[in-house]
Amino acid sequence: MPKFIALALSAVLLLAIPLESQKTKVFPFEYKIEELENGLKVVTIPLNNPNIISFYTIVRSGSRNEIEPGKSGFAHFFEHMMFKGTKEVPSAAYDEFLTQLGAGTNGFTTDDFTCYFVVFAGRDNLEKVVKIEADRFINLYYTEDMIRTEAPVIEGEYYSSVSNPDRRLSELLRGTAFEKHSYKHTTLGYLKDIQDMPNQYEYSLLYKNRFYAPDNTILLVAGDFDHAQLMTLVKKYYSGWKKSGYALQTPVEPPQVLPKRAHYDWPTKTLARLAIGFHGPAYSDEVIDKAALNLLAEVSFSPSSPLYQRLVNEEQKCASLGANFSDNRDPHLLVFNAVVKNDDDLAYVESEVLKELERIKNEPASASKLADIKSNIKYSMADALGTTDGVAGTLARYLELAADPGTVNKLFDLYERITPQDIQDMAKKYFKPANSTVVTLTGGKAK
Amino acid sequence: MRASIKTYLIGILLIGISALLTSCGNKVNLNKLTSELLPVDGNPLVSFRVLVKVGSANDPSGKEGLCQLAWNMLANGGSRTMTIKDITEKFYPMAASVSLIMDKEMAVFSGTIHKDNLEKYYAIFKDMLLDPGFREEDFNRLKTNQLNFVEKTLVNNMDEQFGKEILNLMLYEGHPYGHHEAGTGESVKGLTLDDVKTFYKQHFVQGNIVIGLAGGYPADFPAKIAADFAKLPESFTPRLSLPPAHMPQGLEFVIADKPTPASAISMGFPVSLTKADKDFFALWIAGSHFGEHRQKVSLLFQKIREERGQNYGDYAYIEHFVQGRDKFPAPNHAREQQYFSIWIRPLANSNRHFVIRQALRELKKFVDEGISEERFQLVRTYLLNYTKLYAQTLGERLGWKMDSHYYGRQDFLAEAQSVLLKLTREDVNRAIKKYLNFDNVCVAVITQDADTLKNDLVANTPSPIKYANPNMPKNVLDEDVVIQEFPLDVKAEKVRIALAAEFFQKAGLPAK
Repeated sequence: MPKFIALALSAVLLLAIPLESQKTKVFPFEYKIEELENGLKVVTIPLNNPNIISFYTIVRSGSRNEIEPGKSGFAHFFEHMMFKGTKEVPSAAYDEFLTQLGAGTNGFTTDDFTCYFVVFAGRDNLEKVVKIEADRFINLYYTEDMIRTEAPVIEGEYYSSVSNPDRRLSELLRGTAFEKHSYKHTTLGYLKDIQDMPNQYEYSLLYKNRFYAPDNTILLVAGDFDHAQLMTLVKKYYSGWKKSGYALQTPVEPPQVLPKRAHYDWPTKTLARLAIGFHGPAYSDEVIDKAALNLLAEVSFSPSSPLYQRLVNEEQKCASLGANFSDNRDPHLLVFNAVVKNDDDLAYVESEVLKELERIKNEPASASKLADIKSNIKYSMADALGTTDGVAGTLARYLELAADPGTVNKLFDLYERITPQDIQDMAKKYFKPANSTVVTLTGGKAK
Repeated sequence: MRASIKTYLIGILLIGISALLTSCGNKVNLNKLTSELLPVDGNPLVSFRVLVKVGSANDPSGKEGLCQLAWNMLANGGSRTMTIKDITEKFYPMAASVSLIMDKEMAVFSGTIHKDNLEKYYAIFKDMLLDPGFREEDFNRLKTNQLNFVEKTLVNNMDEQFGKEILNLMLYEGHPYGHHEAGTGESVKGLTLDDVKTFYKQHFVQGNIVIGLAGGYPADFPAKIAADFAKLPESFTPRLSLPPAHMPQGLEFVIADKPTPASAISMGFPVSLTKADKDFFALWIAGSHFGEHRQKVSLLFQKIREERGQNYGDYAYIEHFVQGRDKFPAPNHAREQQYFSIWIRPLANSNRHFVIRQALRELKKFVDEGISEERFQLVRTYLLNYTKLYAQTLGERLGWKMDSHYYGRQDFLAEAQSVLLKLTREDVNRAIKKYLNFDNVCVAVITQDADTLKNDLVANTPSPIKYANPNMPKNVLDEDVVIQEFPLDVKAEKVRIALAAEFFQKAGLPAK
């Protein structure tokens, strides 16, 4: 019996994150960064959480990298191919290894990066994981037949969300707002490109050589391990990986000069959708634009904001309302979303969102509201960092952006410095009609 | 900071006391509160999990959806002294919330808070549950949301879930489980605020409530909560006496017809065991082998997705499954009656007949042949390790403990570590034969041109498929020849078709 209890208790993190002090860092953990000669960066965060280790491989390969016509969705497709094994460890053997390990494992692809993770119990398994992960990244092997079999799975993945109008709305917004940049398409890609993936064997090899290389990859390891031992293993197994040297040139999005608008008729009944996007800045932990806009989103569109309370709880026009300003490597969209209960209220909700953006240009946010937002961000982060995998999962997207966990604290230091005037200035700079794209979706009227 | 020995000992002691209280079921006053405590000294977070042993199965007939609406009025409707706006403003700086998890026999109000804000959070949390506002405007808002969900979202915007819910209707038509937690369009329209107040008064009573608390809370905190909740009436809702679920007679199909390029498929039948049964562990290995949720160890995943690229994934479950964090099972969906199911993720309509055949053929092989020794050893090792990842957060640990006690066990996950090791392949194959079958299966399909599918099924029309890969392995193609003509005994009268929009608008299945 004591064995069982010890096992159960071992699953709980004891990550003390006292936040009473205003000087406590939002990301409080010690970490180390090392870089191998081939350019592979390794970020380690040993944690006082017995037994669990999160091993993340972050590759800067996302829909941003899909710069050629007809190749939308390729980063995501390549994520699938990364599970096809090597000559030494074919996919069946790789799967069997992870099955024996009982690991939580998968991958996901975003606009900017693809992340592969293996979350497992037992530091004794660390070398086996490092070895097999290094092997598949360095020695990935698949045939054209294998690509032709895997490609239809992507079509199946597309179908798994085909009934979801939010995906269609997102496709419409991106497709309308962007002219040149590869953020124009979603991570899944256009259906016609997905259906052509079986024919893309040669391109897949080119893609691999460009982006699946140590100088485009970061290893992130968090949990119960010894840094020195880990680095010995990483050097042993990853040093043979050859650099790519490829420099991605993403198409530059020209400034938008006129407002845009589009609509989609959903074939069946649905709640109406509204999305308003403005071209915004890329992520930065130094320039205030994006950080100030993040605060603006909270001031005006969080559930505690007056507009949300009015449209969702008092007038009950919206089932949901929010702002989504994602952090990206290149300038992306600042998006305001609403799910509207009656089609007839779409125009009203759009008008209220735009009015709020005008208001924020002229009325400074209160100091108490900004203090509440900073408090919210800190406690949200403390909650997210409550488990080993929470630490790794939270940090992965920041590492992709800045390659250093210190960016989290730099960003929060930036938040501390932002004034109400900064927020007003950013609202004036970005929320101009000529920079806007409005898309709507209503149901039941399509032929 | 590592847990001190003292922390471990206190934890063991409290876990022991808690387990003792629970295990002496016949000595516990059923009218009184119970609690589940997991103190973790030094942890900066405190997790609340208030479980109510009343779920949608307790909805009165004709008022389906009432339980969800009533509990949602507590989680999202404000307290008597604070509106939902007040609460949202107070919660915001703490990054706090109260979440509601609904199921057939239980519901959970949960929230995690940093201990800096414990007192402030609890004061609000307590009033939300013990002194709800029950305002007309909140009732209208939440009722409208619930109505929109069943009338629009469920049947139009989420086909994978839609298929699973149709399967639930097929298995439990006329049974307390036999409606969605959100109710039907017709029933939700008829709900009143007085219904909600009456339901709350009747069921939010001491004996129905388990107070779960985990993390770095002060030693005297549980007593404070117990004193507050002890103000609720001393009463309890007797556990429902459930009729048997519907055991299909042969293959029974319900097809929801809608314009769609892809078909979503769920199939299953009732099983006469739960986590309370000793056979559960053996069947758990079998289920994991056949279809572990979103893992490559799943045989169905290997045969349908990996070998043939038909769709995004294919899985099987030996009990009701809800995905929680990452892909792990979410706790607190415990049920007295369970069902076996297969989930085929959406695939091109052109291949639907083939894959229905393939899934049922794999099920037949699974039941006929059982599991090999090699797979038994592999899957058992997998479960021994994988389940160590299930309960990582404080809330998850509490949830699994609560479920353990629901099923009369002390600690299901800990017990699994020893029981799995003692099992043999023969135990697993015996359980497969005892609990599973391939002749009597309910199949729910969401697709377009349902009549054609019905005709194909009834006539056993050959269903060859095409591949993008011209060099498919010979063993796959050879097997395809068998699958595409694999006979299914589908009787025309056992295939019911209705327009998708007709589902969930009234009680039961629309298709006759």
